[in-house]
Amino acid sequence: MENLIIEATKYTPSVKFDAAHHTLGISGESYPENISEFYDPVFDWLKRYLGGLPEHQSVTANIDIIYFNSNTSKVLTDFFRMLEKSAAQGRQVVVNWCYDKENDIALEHGKDFREDAVALEFNLVQTSGRT
Amino acid sequence: MISELYEFKKYLNKEGIFFCFSGPVSQELLVEIGAILKQKIKLEDAGNSTAIRVFSMVVEQAQNIIHYSAEKCPKPYPSKAGEEISIGIIAVGYENGHYFVLSGNMIEKEKVSRLQNKLTGLKKMNKAELKKHYKEQRKKGPDYGSKGAGLGFIDMAKKASQPLEFDFKKIDEKFSFFSSKTVI
Repeated sequence: MENLIIEATKYTPSVKFDAAHHTLGISGESYPENISEFYDPVFDWLKRYLGGLPEHQSVTANIDIIYFNSNTSKVLTDFFRMLEKSAAQGRQVVVNWCYDKENDIALEHGKDFREDAVALEFNLVQTSGRT
Repeated sequence: MISELYEFKKYLNKEGIFFCFSGPVSQELLVEIGAILKQKIKLEDAGNSTAIRVFSMVVEQAQNIIHYSAEKCPKPYPSKAGEEISIGIIAVGYENGHYFVLSGNMIEKEKVSRLQNKLTGLKKMNKAELKKHYKEQRKKGPDYGSKGAGLGFIDMAKKASQPLEFDFKKIDEKFSFFSSKTVI
């Protein structure tokens, strides 16, 4: 399956979904005007990818979003829900939620998402030194 | 206007407003406002997280204007995002140790009571109730007529240090003017 690479813009994140190495990366900022225009293709790819995953394949998602708007919050909920389903089928699915040590909002959001994680392994990863 | 412009600036200063924009609100404008704010707030060393908090209020309020303002003007270059730009007003200020964001736009009269009920409801909730409501709404999906996830006001209420203030002013038989203030 082909990888999904979307370059970041001022208000949409960089998306690097690697089907061969089973890593899903989203980083940057997310506050597009039209949320489905940006994220529908991302979810289409994800559905195909997760639908074709072998039974015991592990997946790692690295999320490093400095700021995201409320519409994106819903998108992330749906994203984690899809990963959760995959994990519930017996796979090891890891989410690394990265946040800058000064960004307490990102940390708060991470803790929030982590509360809903059941089979997902949800880690809060502090990063520092971002300019 | 020329002779009153100074009075207008004095008024803005008195209210603690250091940034004010009235006109067509677009996504590109939002990016520029963000850059200005982040620069100013970081310079005043409120810390990275305050800049992000203020910016997040500006984004939510500005995107509400973009999606829901009843007052529009045609775009010079129609794009995929549409043929019209929404018109509204956004202001950012600082008073009593807190940043605040004001925004306003015209809305259709029919939309007033639903919005008023929603905001009145949010005003009564404490932080824990807001968090719970936010999570429920996030799982549920958008309300009828919502162009987003329906989470904007709840998100703002959660992040604010005081309950959201809002006002509806009847303009005529068809329209009212909706204003809101969030305090960080």
